[in-house]
Amino acid sequence: MTASELIVTKKLTKQYPIGGNFFTALREVDLCIDQCEFTGIVGPSGSGKTTLLNIIGALDAPTNGNAKVLGSEIGKMNHVEAAKLRNQYLGFIFQTYNLLPVYNVFENVEFPLLLQHIESSKRVDMVNKALEWVGLSEKAKSKPAQLSGGESQRVAIARAIVKQPKIVLADEPTANLDAQNSHHILKTMVTLNEELGTTFVFSTHDEKVISYLRRKIKLSDGEIVDDTIVN
Amino acid sequence: MLTWNLAFKNVTKAGLRTWLNVFILSFAFVLIIWTDGMYDGMSKQVIGDMVDNSIGGGQFWQSNYDPFDPFSLDDSHAEIPGNFQNLINTGKATPKLIRSCAMFPNGRVQSALLNGIDPEQNILNFPSSALKENGNGFIPALIGGRMAKNTGLTIGDIVTVRWRNVNGTFDAADVEIVNIFNTNVQAIDNGQLYIPLAKLQDMMEVSNEATIITLQKGIETIPAGSPSWQFKDHAYLLKDFYDYLDRKTVGSNIMYAILLGMALLAIFDTQVLAIFRRRKEMGTMMALGMTRGRVIRLFTLEGTMHGLLAIVLGAIYGIPILIWSASVGIGMPDTVDQTGLSLSTTLYPVYGVGLFFSTSLILFITVVIVSFLPTRKIAKLNPTDALRGKMS
Ligand SMILES: Nc1ncnc2c1ncn2[C@@H]1O[C@H](COP(=O)(O)OP(=O)(O)O)[C@@H](O)[C@H]1O
Ligand SMILES: [Mg+2]
Repeated sequence: MTASELIVTKKLTKQYPIGGNFFTALREVDLCIDQCEFTGIVGPSGSGKTTLLNIIGALDAPTNGNAKVLGSEIGKMNHVEAAKLRNQYLGFIFQTYNLLPVYNVFENVEFPLLLQHIESSKRVDMVNKALEWVGLSEKAKSKPAQLSGGESQRVAIARAIVKQPKIVLADEPTANLDAQNSHHILKTMVTLNEELGTTFVFSTHDEKVISYLRRKIKLSDGEIVDDTIVN
Repeated sequence: MLTWNLAFKNVTKAGLRTWLNVFILSFAFVLIIWTDGMYDGMSKQVIGDMVDNSIGGGQFWQSNYDPFDPFSLDDSHAEIPGNFQNLINTGKATPKLIRSCAMFPNGRVQSALLNGIDPEQNILNFPSSALKENGNGFIPALIGGRMAKNTGLTIGDIVTVRWRNVNGTFDAADVEIVNIFNTNVQAIDNGQLYIPLAKLQDMMEVSNEATIITLQKGIETIPAGSPSWQFKDHAYLLKDFYDYLDRKTVGSNIMYAILLGMALLAIFDTQVLAIFRRRKEMGTMMALGMTRGRVIRLFTLEGTMHGLLAIVLGAIYGIPILIWSASVGIGMPDTVDQTGLSLSTTLYPVYGVGLFFSTSLILFITVVIVSFLPTRKIAKLNPTDALRGKMS
């Protein structure tokens, strides 16, 4: 592993117990993702994209093989270490936005910073900057229920990038958005990738997203079937 | 500190959800205290009435006396010992002589107990002074409201009473109902006829004898008994009632169980469901880097804050309601008389400080537990399962 390799998996296998049996969702996946990549894991529904992203995100552990993220082996971390890794280095964007409903936009974006015990004045600066990136400064006081889908996902992006993580993991971020909003958030993410050097890993089967990717990793029934760099 | 701040923020930001939750909790809280208060009020009232109207500060029974054995009754009398007589003379005790009889109200025959009591006594809350007036030569007699209803007797009625004299043959006399009293204590009402003690002693051809000596309520020193006069304390005299209360706590009081069940259900519903509905929120917090332990502490703390708010809110509207209902009382349906208890028609709930604190504590602990357990269960899931809202 070189210094620029952020994510490395070796023979990564994930099985889910089903009844008395096992269902293999990922089968010996070998993968290497470098700094500054704008990569997508592409495949039909059920191919194992979310499972792979969850393991990279230290939300789940591999059954066999290993996954190293920023030098730490996911399967060997306890849940406190995993929480720390997520908090300091990873940002998540979910298909369903997952904003905290009682907080307003500002407070949602601020939340990861609270967990990092960052002092108040610095927090305000960081949140305001993140809201500027996604173009939602004027909605800082709004509650999630008052936002459109596109706005909600932009808040989620701001929340993911506010702490300037090394990696942002986005699981089908456009699945609930119309074309215009999809392009809007994708352009935002491309800009962040270029300006901040943040690595983005998507899971998607949305053509709009695929058209922005610089690398496409095709997944089918838990196996990588194709891995293409786009120029 | 962060957990405290977040919990406080979540509770205050949740607005309506918090207040709904807190209101239901506080309602359960007030309801439990009120029900407990009714229960305590009933005990206090029954015991108070029994003490005031019947058993005073305890009784000495002539050794043959057995209220459940009518055949031994006519032998259950003896000379009042000197130490009791001193107490009687100083107004600290009062004698009662009991004799079985038959009475003939309105041409029917009915067995009853003749109670000879001192018209001058002040020991029991009992209109015995009515027995002092005696204008027209009949023996003055006193009966209770239930007895009056059963026999059809009213004030001024003359009724013939027959009893066995010392020789075993029948004697008879006419008594006049001079007053009818109302009491919650059925035992001193049903089948009881009260006449002056001296008259009954004459009729039985005994002098200065009695069956029961009732002591003044709150008397400091209980006089010494003897083989023929045995002391019966409150624990003994109230045993039936305490037994009834015990049966009640075991679960015969369905109403109480339902109320308590409702209250617990409300707590369970508001806390557990609120937490289960928020499992995606928990998953999100974990994905954002919150540790499991902190998630559990946060949600338990939120529940705890709800419990505290509920106690404060419950106190704000509950205390006036509780005080008000304790002062005006709660009307009881007529049917309670059939339970055989000395229940009055209006119950005054009694709330002890202990009751208040123990109920608060129980409720509070319940809230904390039902916040903690489901939170722990959810937090122990993989964050991925919590995120998906899956529960297994
Ligand atoms: N917790 C689980 N238990 C059992 N099977 C699961 C679980 N999570 C995912 N799967 C299965 O694993 C396969 C891959 O799922 P997933 O990674 O969500 O696919 P994708 O995100 O590509 O749609 C699916 O067939 C799914 O049913
Ligand atoms: Mg998926």
